[in-house]
Amino acid sequence: MPEKVKVVNEWLCVCSGCEISLLNIHEKLLNLLDRIEIVHSPVLMDVKEIPEADIALVSGGVRNWENVEVLKEVREKCRILIALGSCAAFGGIPGLGNLFSREELLRKVYIDTKSTDNPNKVLPCKEVPPLTKMVAPIWKVVKTDYVIPGCPPEADLIWDALSSLLDGKEPCLSTRTVCDECPLKKEEKKEIKVVKRWYEASEGFDPERCLLEQGFVCMGPATRAGCGAKCPQAHVPCRGCMGPAATQADQAASMIGALGFLEVDPELLVKKVADPVGLFYRYTLPSAIIPRYVEDRGGETR
Amino acid sequence: MKEHKPEVLELKSAYPATPKKLFEPLIVCFACNYCTYAGADYAGTARIQYPPNVIVIRHMCSGRYDPLEFLEALRLGADFVWHAGCHPGDCHFLTGNYKASRRFALLKKLCEQLGFNPERLILEWVSAAEGDRFASIVRKLLQKYEEIGPSPMKNFKEEL
Repeated sequence: MPEKVKVVNEWLCVCSGCEISLLNIHEKLLNLLDRIEIVHSPVLMDVKEIPEADIALVSGGVRNWENVEVLKEVREKCRILIALGSCAAFGGIPGLGNLFSREELLRKVYIDTKSTDNPNKVLPCKEVPPLTKMVAPIWKVVKTDYVIPGCPPEADLIWDALSSLLDGKEPCLSTRTVCDECPLKKEEKKEIKVVKRWYEASEGFDPERCLLEQGFVCMGPATRAGCGAKCPQAHVPCRGCMGPAATQADQAASMIGALGFLEVDPELLVKKVADPVGLFYRYTLPSAIIPRYVEDRGGETR
Repeated sequence: MKEHKPEVLELKSAYPATPKKLFEPLIVCFACNYCTYAGADYAGTARIQYPPNVIVIRHMCSGRYDPLEFLEALRLGADFVWHAGCHPGDCHFLTGNYKASRRFALLKKLCEQLGFNPERLILEWVSAAEGDRFASIVRKLLQKYEEIGPSPMKNFKEEL
């Protein structure tokens, strides 16, 4: 029997959903485990050191200096580094923390919240890794070979990536958008004259028709295919977790371009899109064209 | 917070860094072929004096302005980004300027959330006959520059 391929799984700033998604491969995981050996995985086993390995699956973005050190060590010890999940690939939900400075974040969490009992206003400063200035996807810190996006990544995508690597092939992602694989009915010629927020769906909507054509802001046009359009099929607008499609650079830019076609008053559109950064950059703010809050103090910045 | 580590790690980026030398102040104007570009041209042929701080980027219609160009102009350090076009109802392609106005409204809100002063983002229509209006807007923006100062992207760094 040939020697098994060694796989390291490491997590950084993450919720461990990506690891659960790895389990979601179901029976095929048994086929996979015949060919690979997981030598390091903090979610599964007690680990102290990162061993040398062939493939590294890293989930989570970089939020503190411990993440940076761990990530650099993984890069040194593994031949192929795969970013697993949207946090590693784009920064993910924790990336929305880039709208605030780390001082603001710490103050909010440890002092300002009503449920916090911290009379001396002590902030964590000793023996815990300090936060970085901003959240970053792992490719901004070390060289990353492949990316498996998704929040969590589809089990099929993980299976495709790992099995094609084991067969000596290059793994590749779909280059199309979610709309291309969405089965909901599109009446393309019709002008869209409404825009609604998702809670307004309780007033009634057509579950068979394209959600964007009914005025709900669905991120489908600005999101990479590969998930099988599961959310629109369950009558929930796409949230854009797969990141921008192959020909798109920035999710907000693509989506704003698409929303220009809604025939509604600009003021109404702005009212209904109450939180553009949270909606368009929900998963991709740290890899966006302007990746964090910039402080516009005019002349003082010089 | 006590500072633990003086270390600074510069990040890789998929986008070019802000150029060191820029014409200051810098106005990036997106102009449509049929109205604003002709209007800017008219300002030239009529020899109307206006400051040289404006870069005019011509598109066939204001409906073709890509939000990515808008964000990239901001990223590269433009002090003002100006979406111009035909007056409402005058678009050569009937509805291009309405599309531009919707996109502009969303972009303005997005950039405000990202911390930009909303006065840096301008939507002003200029028709082919309004060369003097084109020049006066440029002059007005330069006055505004005295109040709001340079773009925060001038010394923007991506680092940990």
